[in-house]
Amino acid sequence: MKELEAFKQIEKYFNDQLSPEALTYFEQQLQTDPEMAEYYRQYLQLDSTLRFYGKRKGLKAQLNAIHNEMEATAENQPTAERKVITPFGDKQKRKIFWHQHYATIAVAASVAILTVFGTLMSIDVWRSMGKQQNARYTALRREVEKIKNSQRALVQGYNGADARVAPKPLPANFSGTGFAISSDGYLVTSYHVVKDADSVFIENRAGQRFRVKNIYRDQTHDLAILKIDDADFTSFGSLPYAFKSDLSELGERVYTLGFPREDMVFGEGSLSSKTGFEGDTTSYQISIPLNPGNSGGPLLDSQGNLIGIISGQQLDQQGASFAVKSAYLKQLVEQLSQDSLNVPIKLSTKNSLSWTSRPEQLKKIKDYVFMVKVYNN
Amino acid sequence: MPNVVYFSEDALLAGIRSEDESAVAYLYKQHYPMVLHLVLNNNGSEEEAKDIYQEAIIVFLEKIREESLELNCLIKTYLYSVCRRLWLKRLAFKNRFAGVVSESDTFLEMAEEVADLEDREIKFNKMAEALELLGEPCKTLIEDFYLQDLSMQTITDKFGYTNADNTKNQKYKCLLRLKKLFFNIYKIKVERD
Repeated sequence: MKELEAFKQIEKYFNDQLSPEALTYFEQQLQTDPEMAEYYRQYLQLDSTLRFYGKRKGLKAQLNAIHNEMEATAENQPTAERKVITPFGDKQKRKIFWHQHYATIAVAASVAILTVFGTLMSIDVWRSMGKQQNARYTALRREVEKIKNSQRALVQGYNGADARVAPKPLPANFSGTGFAISSDGYLVTSYHVVKDADSVFIENRAGQRFRVKNIYRDQTHDLAILKIDDADFTSFGSLPYAFKSDLSELGERVYTLGFPREDMVFGEGSLSSKTGFEGDTTSYQISIPLNPGNSGGPLLDSQGNLIGIISGQQLDQQGASFAVKSAYLKQLVEQLSQDSLNVPIKLSTKNSLSWTSRPEQLKKIKDYVFMVKVYNN
Repeated sequence: MPNVVYFSEDALLAGIRSEDESAVAYLYKQHYPMVLHLVLNNNGSEEEAKDIYQEAIIVFLEKIREESLELNCLIKTYLYSVCRRLWLKRLAFKNRFAGVVSESDTFLEMAEEVADLEDREIKFNKMAEALELLGEPCKTLIEDFYLQDLSMQTITDKFGYTNADNTKNQKYKCLLRLKKLFFNIYKIKVERD
């Protein structure tokens, strides 16, 4: 009977149904009475096992229900559908295969995609780069071949061991053409010929060299004005050509003199457009075949008026060369005379070439056209 | 049962903890084919597959709800490993093809898990046995009170006792008998081991 009472007490204890006095008494009993403690332990185990049993029983029933439902749905499906033989193998196996290899497959696929698009893009970029290069405007300054130079230097060093021979002038890095604009030693050439120059010399047809000291640059119109500063130089004398400030007409016969190689070369054509590269209104388009080294050369019309300064050509078009209009040269000279110079530059206005034949004109002009040699190292 | 798809194992575990039936059904259906495949390919029947699968699922659910399982792998791997171990034992018990199972998936050695699982199974079976031995009406009385959590009054009405105190006394008597029966059977079992 004691056991029954003990169980009642324990259950009440668990359900919080004990009065405060009974509670303290019960807790005391737990501490002191070993029999009571044993009952307590047994109750705990029984209770937990019962609960565990109950839950598990419920779960089993639930799982059985799920299983039956699953089998019912599986049986409802037509059996024919379940045993389809496909060329791709068993579905379960495919699933396993996919699970085992999906990471590798994903990496391979991404690499493939990247490669394809990378290749396409780089081909595209490469093509557009080629096009850009074709459409490019080239300035016609001449880059002197380096290999030839160094070979020549080697041969020189090999032959001439004696120091008595005066050293020959070093070959220049770049060369262009320039021409006189006033008798007291001013010349004009293209800006791109003398840009990043360390020192500039001009050389006439006879091989006489003058040192140039001051350079006035006008990058926007691709012009540069040089001043000879040399003890040997006195004066050019009066210039045979005059500078034209009006626009010349389409179809006018024009010609130029320049130094695309070591000797002076004549080129002739006509004025084909009043605008230059990509609609540039500061220059003309002319149909004279030009080569690197022609830059900075004078462009004259049949009357011997100076109408422009050769500047460059377009590579992807046949016979499209450009020359800066002489009006901009005049403008530059005026600005320079006002701002930077003590003594203004006097452009020649007298034209002694009109109504003379072409060879006569050339004979007079050639002394005023120079090769511009640029050193930049 | 609604067709719920669980996209992550965490969501599934949360569903199991909150006693969501659809989560349990989803879990059960998801992995049954794997175990069925394992058992059928290793000289088993569908019935046996269901048996061991349910054992594994039950212990998994219990442990998840008790928060006594730290899952460091996929649920799938856990279930497969437990089922594999159980099936190996059954094969060894049947004394044929002992310990040879053709593997189709990754698995972990689950010796402790399975030992624990078997303890639980024994405990469950002993309690079922004890309840059977207890006989009517004690069995129903105990089940109603402790498993179904019915109130004293409902039980009194159901059994036709005169009042709740009578029922209570009857219940305690039944509980004491159950205690004796259970500990007898359980101790015998423990001693045999």
